[in-house]
Amino acid sequence: MSEILAIYRKEMKTYFNSPIAFIVISSFLVITNWLFFDYGDYPFFAINIADIRGIFDYGAIVLLFIAPAVSMRLISEEKHQDTLELLVTMPITDMQIILGKYLSTLVIFAIILGGTLIAPISISFVGDLDSGIVISSYIGFFFLGATYLAMGLAASSFTRNQIVAYIMGIVIIAVFFLMNGMANGSGLIATLFENLSIRFHYQNFFRGVLDSRDLLYFISLIFVSLLVSSTALASRKNK
Amino acid sequence: MIDVQNVTKSYGAFEAVKDVSFTVEQGEILGFLGPNGAGKTTMMKMITCYMPPTGGTITVDGLDVITESMGVRKKIGYLPESTPLYEEMGVRDYLNFVADVRKVKGTERTRAMDRIISVTGLSKVIHKDIHELSKGYRQRVGFAQAIIHDPEILVLDEPTTGLDPNQIIEIRNLIRELGESKTVIFSTHIMQEVQATSDRVLIIDQGKIAAQGTAEELKASIAGQIHLDMVLRNADKSKFIEVLSGIEQIHLDDIKIQKNGDIEAALKVDAGTDLREQLFDLAVTNQWKILESSPSSFTLEDVFRKLTN
Repeated sequence: MSEILAIYRKEMKTYFNSPIAFIVISSFLVITNWLFFDYGDYPFFAINIADIRGIFDYGAIVLLFIAPAVSMRLISEEKHQDTLELLVTMPITDMQIILGKYLSTLVIFAIILGGTLIAPISISFVGDLDSGIVISSYIGFFFLGATYLAMGLAASSFTRNQIVAYIMGIVIIAVFFLMNGMANGSGLIATLFENLSIRFHYQNFFRGVLDSRDLLYFISLIFVSLLVSSTALASRKNK
Repeated sequence: MIDVQNVTKSYGAFEAVKDVSFTVEQGEILGFLGPNGAGKTTMMKMITCYMPPTGGTITVDGLDVITESMGVRKKIGYLPESTPLYEEMGVRDYLNFVADVRKVKGTERTRAMDRIISVTGLSKVIHKDIHELSKGYRQRVGFAQAIIHDPEILVLDEPTTGLDPNQIIEIRNLIRELGESKTVIFSTHIMQEVQATSDRVLIIDQGKIAAQGTAEELKASIAGQIHLDMVLRNADKSKFIEVLSGIEQIHLDDIKIQKNGDIEAALKVDAGTDLREQLFDLAVTNQWKILESSPSSFTLEDVFRKLTN
């Protein structure tokens, strides 16, 4: 555990030593809040309903571009600077490295989540928010982000180029996000695609219901992504 | 301390290391010498548990690098080629990070930091960011992270490459200093380096051990002969060759005729034979005038070239 925390602390230092954390966090909050309050056919101020679903609808899309930016450097930069060689020859397992790095991205995301609370808190003063739905939506949004970040981390573990990791991350997430639109009808394939898609499971959280199947879906995706990352690190051994 | 037995490493069809065996005793400084691409780095990557050998076994203090990898890693301090460092971190932050991972804690950490900062001379730059450092200081940071946990074994891959002559001497002194209490393996393609720092030399070429021993032993192994360079006036080339071929202990390496007609000859003479009088008499008989005659013994460089060409 102390090894995981050592990696975590190092990553946090790196995020906040450079402008990357501030840029990522502030761009998400600015874009998402702007979209929610003041954009599109039903901006919050125009429709005048105490509903914050827009945050999570827009947020899911904005995060698709922001999350890979958080995770893109995690492994690729270690490869690029050759520091990976030093790291993996210290007494630490590949999985501990991955978990430490993943933990740091979750904390960055937690700060983002904290920032989005502005909307529900301010709205709750002037309207009547359904707190059950707000809580379940937040849980859904947390798992969505956690999944995006795990996928971004996996993308980062395959390349030594941050830009490649970023674009690969977006593509992987987008494929899983939009999968339910890839097959029409009600056949087996369509059902399968729907059940594999992030959007399908994500939407369920807005009904204010926590379904273990949805949670299990996200947890499995995170688990597989982290396993893929760790396996990619270990691939040096079979060269 | 380190026992390498019949180790092979293949990258696909390419065999980088072929059936290599050697041991390193406790407290010994072993120099890996070899041309670029000889398999030195691959060998080090296997000892440090970066990747496993394809065949054979490596044990470090009795621990196997594959099955007891974590134990091996704790015993080793490693400085990879080109000194990879986290550019965006501060020097102290970086060393603290390595101490964290290596579980050097509390007062032990404080003592370790003081020790490595003084040994590697980092006090002036400890508050700087790594990307601000000169090549020499970067190398010292690399050394500092390698010795932070006071390892029994140091593995240093080309630790002096890219440094200026003063820095090279400093790093060599550092290696010798550390080598007093630790087992050290370091690689280089510079001859003087192994001669200056190591107890024993291992020459690797094309993935195989070409020779091993102390620098003196290696020189002696091909120093069955010495060089002799001669310049003669008033001598005829074919006659000179004919006369020399009559002496068993002399081997003609090269012969040139200078512009003014003097003959310049490079000879190899079997060691242990004294041909000075014989050569003098031959010169008198043939009326050659010896203008120059300079013997020289072999250097480690010659050993290296002979073995790796």
